[in-house]
Amino acid sequence: MKITIPPYLQPGDTIAITCPAGYMPYENVDQCIQILQEQGYRVIVGKTVGSDSQNYFSASDDDRLDELQAFLDAKEVKAILCGRGGYGTGRIIDRINFKQFAKHSKWIIGFSDITVLHAHLYSNFGIASLHAPMAAAFKDGNNEYTTSLLTALRGENVSYYAPAVDANLPGHAKGKLVGGNLSLLAHLCGTVSAFKTKNCILFLEDIGEQLYHIDRMLYQLKRNGMLKNLAGLLVGGFSELKDTERPFGKTIYEIITDITQEYDYPVCFQFPVSHEKENLALKIGVKYKLVVDESGALLSEC
Amino acid sequence: MKRKHFISSALLAFASVKDLAESISERSEGTATAIPPYLLPGDMIGITAAAGYISAEDCTDAVKTMQGWGFKIKMGATVGKKDFSFAGTDEERLADFLQMLDDDKIKAIMCARGGYGLVRIIDRINFKKFIQKPKWIIGFSDATVLHSHINKNYGIATLHSKMCNSFVDPALAEPIQNETIDSIRKCLVGGKMKYSAAPNINNRNGSSKGILVGGNLKMLETLAGTASDISTRNKILFIEDTGEYLYSIDRMLWNLKRTGKLEGLAGLIIGGFKIKPDDAGEEFGKTLEQIVLEKVAAYHYPVCFDFPVGHQKNNFALKCGVMHELHITDTSAELKDIS
Repeated sequence: MKITIPPYLQPGDTIAITCPAGYMPYENVDQCIQILQEQGYRVIVGKTVGSDSQNYFSASDDDRLDELQAFLDAKEVKAILCGRGGYGTGRIIDRINFKQFAKHSKWIIGFSDITVLHAHLYSNFGIASLHAPMAAAFKDGNNEYTTSLLTALRGENVSYYAPAVDANLPGHAKGKLVGGNLSLLAHLCGTVSAFKTKNCILFLEDIGEQLYHIDRMLYQLKRNGMLKNLAGLLVGGFSELKDTERPFGKTIYEIITDITQEYDYPVCFQFPVSHEKENLALKIGVKYKLVVDESGALLSEC
Repeated sequence: MKRKHFISSALLAFASVKDLAESISERSEGTATAIPPYLLPGDMIGITAAAGYISAEDCTDAVKTMQGWGFKIKMGATVGKKDFSFAGTDEERLADFLQMLDDDKIKAIMCARGGYGLVRIIDRINFKKFIQKPKWIIGFSDATVLHSHINKNYGIATLHSKMCNSFVDPALAEPIQNETIDSIRKCLVGGKMKYSAAPNINNRNGSSKGILVGGNLKMLETLAGTASDISTRNKILFIEDTGEYLYSIDRMLWNLKRTGKLEGLAGLIIGGFKIKPDDAGEEFGKTLEQIVLEKVAAYHYPVCFDFPVGHQKNNFALKCGVMHELHITDTSAELKDIS
């Protein structure tokens, strides 16, 4: 599959911020707007950000859809930064018209619930997108991880290093990078948005899940053929893990090692992609090289 | 009835032929379900713990009750076995299940309880002998994996019902507990069950016939895209779940919808949903009924809420893979085995 890489950003380009899923107060984007403007970008903030919504969502399905659609179609918008995740992108994904976007692609930025968009764009249109910190992540100012997003948007090639972890499986791999939130990757199975992972480097992260849920979701990926024939596997943060009253009896390392033991691709644990601060910008659909050895793991754009 | 249904479905399959393989698989999984032999007095029921740990003691009431029904009971090696949360290792649970599947003397296999574990072994279960000599597989929750896998791949009927851990001493039980537990016996001996649900203002009226499939919503989502993923076309689908947030139920229903499972149904049955309350400030803003109805607004089949199936006392035995009739009016909701 040929991948379209949206144009990288130039000073003066416009970035639009929208909340296609959960509600977020406006103050959570103040810092982000300021930082993006300092970088020389123009910023448009949609009405879904800091809306007067009284429930979980940032706005009704129709209003979230309309705003995302407008930003996708607006020629002057060169990137769409999601304010936050939560839940809700899956409710509108099948109603988004990507016709205009497919002709004039632009960067879609986010993670967590936004995995739905990443997977859908990759699988249906072969368009690269950015799995990266969202607007709310800039709240406490710029850090290494929010900076990685700004670097990615400028189109600079980068290499990311992750320290060695005992459970790592050494090896070399080259492939398109795909992945995201494990709960959503599992949830998308069987739908038109599901990732096809063959020959790809897959990355996974999640938050607040029971260990047995993680096991079950990985079995779903496995039974969907998504763990076979990978080029490599990056295991990001699995924060706020929960366990049942009767312990599951395996660590996250053991769960993943057990399920991938029949494959011989490299596996890297504790890669800095997560729901925590450690969340490096990753270009989905873009080809990367992964080297895992005793000194750690290095992921670099080809 | 059976023949008429076969003809109409065969015509349907023929009319919509896109490729031959598809129509054959649609026919084999959609209409012609094999029903395992019903049980006779003296028949043996095997009890196996294919997922979560359960003590032998917690199976006592089930053993006594089913012996009282005139059946012999064989306890599997996994009952009382423990590997953390599992009733033994994958190998042990698999071996126990296979042994019961292949043992001619065992006429039905009851899962001792659910929990989690069947997806870890389902692809390693060899159903060859079972296909030649089907027997009743009994359970729910995690056992939805078995119902779906068997319906999808072999078109053999199974029994969605309470398991050993829900049996109680009949003398101490509430009437609904005795009634639901006895529904297992009735189904196993070939009773044609008829169940009613209390009328719900959100029900969508109508009458339809179709093969009954379904189970635990989370498990149905977990099976999406796998070799155990059911086809629901022209079928009556029932779902239930427990301990999930409304947003999570919404998301799972989107998975059903986006995998084509809500389109072309004969009917939809919503069982018990024990809903996890929204966290403060994260109010989902829709009821379960609204969540369901918005997904099926474009379709016209009957929809029944509050059906007595789920993680609750009023959880009646349902024959998956068997023709049923669903009939819903303003004042009644009824599901009838018409096999």
